[in-house]
Amino acid sequence: MSPRQRRRIRPDARGSFEVRLPPEERALLAHLPRQLDELLATATDPAAPGADDGAEVARPRDRTRAPRAGGADDPEKPGVQDPLRRLFPPAYLRDEAAEAAYVGIVRAELVAHHRETLALLLRTADATRLTGEELEAWLAALNDLRLVIGSSLGVTETMAELDEHDPRYAEWVCYSYLSYLENEVVDALAGVLPPATPGADDEAPEDPWGEPPGGLRWDGTPLPGGP
Amino acid sequence: MNATSNTARTTGTTGAGGSAAPVEAAPEIRDTPATDDARRPDRPWLVIVWNDPINLMSYVTYVFQKLFGYSREKATKLMLDVHHRGRAVVTSGPRERAELDVARLHRHGLWATMEQSG
Repeated sequence: MSPRQRRRIRPDARGSFEVRLPPEERALLAHLPRQLDELLATATDPAAPGADDGAEVARPRDRTRAPRAGGADDPEKPGVQDPLRRLFPPAYLRDEAAEAAYVGIVRAELVAHHRETLALLLRTADATRLTGEELEAWLAALNDLRLVIGSSLGVTETMAELDEHDPRYAEWVCYSYLSYLENEVVDALAGVLPPATPGADDEAPEDPWGEPPGGLRWDGTPLPGGP
Repeated sequence: MNATSNTARTTGTTGAGGSAAPVEAAPEIRDTPATDDARRPDRPWLVIVWNDPINLMSYVTYVFQKLFGYSREKATKLMLDVHHRGRAVVTSGPRERAELDVARLHRHGLWATMEQSG
């Protein structure tokens, strides 16, 4: 089987999308969302074992908390960034109160959104035809899976392909496949995007900074080639 | 959207912090905090997307087109700015709109933050 022999997702004449996937790929798509959903359910459920520190007050240990600027790792796993955090980035880097308020407003909805799209992918992993809305949910779920698996692998922009004897090889193959499939989904959906909003390009802001601030990424790590 | 008890707590904290100026904060610098747009209503908030090694370039371009109605050319330019320069300002406007845009970008798995210009 060569995954690149034919397009797996393509628009049909009725405004839907035809999905042609071999059984082993469908099996993977029926398996991965379940794993991530279990992680999300455990991480965001205050009653779940391990979600509470057992401290005096019920302040659930929230593994969905975004890293602070500076990229602090999970204190219980030094050096290992919790991959789930990648699904919950911070909105405010320099204002803890504003960030806490933002989290309070959007977090529950964001968790629900991640879980709904994973559930839809799970339900429709065998489908041969998807509506645009369903394919959008596939895209969201595939991207979430890539974000979490990629974070777990510690993917970098210059990362070489892993050797088949590497213990992370199976995870790497999943990640590569998801990247391939996501690209196909993006191509299919981008092909039926409505025309650009008139004037939208003109309203887009010009970048007020000449160079990245301090040559740093949002999490405080240096940019490649930066100062 | 759900307002949780956490929101109430933090809102209370914000209110207290906003009304009671710290002792060391002299009156002449009271309008310097970058986070209080009530004192800087004229300055727009910038929505910034940061580079990351996982999101696909095609996906980021698609999200910019879909969410903001940009042309493929504009969306591609912004994506390349993110990729090569580490970040790009993708929209700007009042705080409420910027926060909504950040939330929409977060739903799509992009690293988006916001800050007030100036």
